[in-house]
Amino acid sequence: MQRQGPAPVTGSGVPPQPSATDRGAEDRETSERAAGERDTGGQETAGRETAGRRTAGPEAGAARPDGENGRTGGAAARGRLTAALRSPDALNLVPLLVAGALWLWALPGIDFRSMDEFGLLDRFPLTFYAALAVLTCGFVITLRRAGTAPLWPATYCAAMLVALKAPPAILYDTVRYAWASKHDAIISRLLDQGTVHPGTELSGGMSAYDQWPGFFSLDAALVRAFGVDAAASFINWAPVALGLLTVPVLILVYRTFSDDWRLVWTGVWIFQLANWVGQDYLSPQGFSYLLYLTVFAVVVRHFVLPGSAGTLRDRATLDPAAAAVPPPTTTRQRAVAVLFLVPVIATINASHQLTPVMLCASLFALCLTRRYRNLGLLAVSGLIMLIWNLTMGRELFLDTLGTLREKAGDLLGNSRPGFAGDPTGPGPELVGSANILMVLALGGLAAAAVLLRRRLVRSALPLLLAAAAPLPMFAVNDYGGEMIFRVYLFGLPGAAFFAAAALVPAAGAASRAATIARRTATVALPLTLVAMLAGFLPSYYGKEGMHYAPPGETALTRRAFDRAPEGALILAATGAFADSYYRYDHYERWFFTEQEVDENLRMLKDPAGYLSGGIPAGRPAYVILTPTQGEAVIGEGYLPEGGFDRLGKALKASPLFAVVEESRYGLVLRYRPTTTG
Amino acid sequence: MAHPRLTPRVQRRAALAASGWVALAATALPGGSPARWIPVLAFVVLAPGLALLLPQPLGLRPGARLEALALAAPVSLSVATLVATTLFLTKAFSLTLFVVVLALFVSVVAILPGVPLPAATRGAVERDGARPSRTRTPRFRVPPFRKRGAGGGG
Repeated sequence: MQRQGPAPVTGSGVPPQPSATDRGAEDRETSERAAGERDTGGQETAGRETAGRRTAGPEAGAARPDGENGRTGGAAARGRLTAALRSPDALNLVPLLVAGALWLWALPGIDFRSMDEFGLLDRFPLTFYAALAVLTCGFVITLRRAGTAPLWPATYCAAMLVALKAPPAILYDTVRYAWASKHDAIISRLLDQGTVHPGTELSGGMSAYDQWPGFFSLDAALVRAFGVDAAASFINWAPVALGLLTVPVLILVYRTFSDDWRLVWTGVWIFQLANWVGQDYLSPQGFSYLLYLTVFAVVVRHFVLPGSAGTLRDRATLDPAAAAVPPPTTTRQRAVAVLFLVPVIATINASHQLTPVMLCASLFALCLTRRYRNLGLLAVSGLIMLIWNLTMGRELFLDTLGTLREKAGDLLGNSRPGFAGDPTGPGPELVGSANILMVLALGGLAAAAVLLRRRLVRSALPLLLAAAAPLPMFAVNDYGGEMIFRVYLFGLPGAAFFAAAALVPAAGAASRAATIARRTATVALPLTLVAMLAGFLPSYYGKEGMHYAPPGETALTRRAFDRAPEGALILAATGAFADSYYRYDHYERWFFTEQEVDENLRMLKDPAGYLSGGIPAGRPAYVILTPTQGEAVIGEGYLPEGGFDRLGKALKASPLFAVVEESRYGLVLRYRPTTTG
Repeated sequence: MAHPRLTPRVQRRAALAASGWVALAATALPGGSPARWIPVLAFVVLAPGLALLLPQPLGLRPGARLEALALAAPVSLSVATLVATTLFLTKAFSLTLFVVVLALFVSVVAILPGVPLPAATRGAVERDGARPSRTRTPRFRVPPFRKRGAGGGG
């Protein structure tokens, strides 16, 4: 049984009456927590009850003189107000209201239509940054009473999620992010055709989406159920929705390893800020990540083998913040839990290629501990993965196996992000630096906690193992240049927990070192959270120029596709633009700068000649160049600065290409090989 | 008892069972209207998981309530995904069929006892409304694994 703080989900801050069986444990817990709060909070009170007592005085006083003496009544009202303002709830509420007001004030001022090389960073008004800073301060304040009023940090976490990720959903009038737009196209095709064709080969690896159709089937069903035209109408809300669903599961995981709500909420907060890799859009990865965490949560809570806890239930040997190992379960109970998990694991396998592998890796890592040596669950997960890979996903699975020989062992190659060279321009360079600093900060904090809080590491070892489990994936495959981001993503829950452990020292310990650690943390925690916020924003919004396309641009792209005959070859500098996969089963696409930079430099010497050399004879071909692509080739480092403009001019000037349409939203050209003779 | 009382727990089960049919009715409303997508979304995202997890015979402890709350959405979405995928793979997808299958699933599962995840029932305390007083000594047996050292994280 997980030992919760009193009424963790009631939000009242008032502990429920413990039952007779619980009273002993509750008493111990209360005394521990009270000690912790004294140490960390300074003027910490026992919670809302105290606040109630504080306000009770003036209220009682106000009842008596009411109507009797106006001056006394006014004084009583002032006293009531003062007492209310001093109450912990007011202290928690005020920053939230201030941040909300600042954020709402900032929202209309976000000038997303004129984004330049810094994405949204220089388009967010100062009030937006102020709102985030106030939220961070408010969150740190709520941590002082996290044990008795956990709903406050929860509210701040939800508010931060919305504040960070809702602006595009509210403001943008088109689908944010090219890959989300691609998924929109897949859902539309599924609805159009009513089924999938896993055996049919589609160009650009698009048949993989027919072989793992789970997530798209759900979205297609939701599109029909909502009665909307396409997933585009709700797609931009996915980061907020997935975040809101992920946080409770994450809390469940963290609560299994820590009784300290401050540590739990700080871990959640850091997870949100460190999750900058952008896998939270409407994607099979974002969805199956939620399910992966769900399986992990159930496993760590319900799959403890009998007789495996050893001293890990002895409070004397545990870190003060650690939770004791959950109670053991019988074989029958674990079997029931496996059955409960089968639909979740099956959904992961039906939705995504990589997550089942990561899940098996994590379960295998857990099997290295005596606590969670559940070979049965590992076998069931492996079996479901094998069945899916040998039936629905057979084509891609066999292809991947074929490439394993050349990619296996190429650690450097597999951990390389994409094909691109170094990002060019101050904006993308800032993003690159922010990414590296975020990884270093998170890794450094987590490593510090692992080194300094050995007892916490002992009890939370499964979390550490799960964080490290994805690392061997570097030895296997590059996942299209994405492996480094996915390994980071799957290592994040553990890393965020230990990073939080470095910032939230154990309460209650009386040694000199512990006192110094707590004093340091009082300053270090808010500073680090603000620094991580400062790292998140460029990482997440620094390249926003390539994620937003105005409606005029998507209309131009769709017109270009519609104009092209069935089976035509569509050329674009990169696939990272909205609607690049519009009606993708009718065309073939060639994103010609998505290759080694040297090859691109060769292409830039004679773009028309280079492209015509790659177009099969007799094939109708069109080139689409849009401003979003211009942002993307710079942001990803495919082309040097100015290269995209040179490319467009060269193609326009070439007799091999005829301009079909040109506007500020882009350039469409038709290939005309006959003019060359 | 000859006439089962409408306890809060029975009411909750009935509400869960009805939610699918309410969602089905909502799909008759004009496309995209909040009166349509809100009940449908709430049903698809919460109902199957809650139906599987919530009707616990002994009520839920706070930790288990958090667990039910956290797991309800992923489990619901898993069930919905499997239903939708099966329907698409068999070329049988239609909105009505999708919602009816889910509504039937929820209606049946809401009647059955909840999945006995160990943390859900262990040392369970009756919830508000199920009994007049929270402080009354629990009538159910205390499982032996309650007797352990301080702490716990299950």
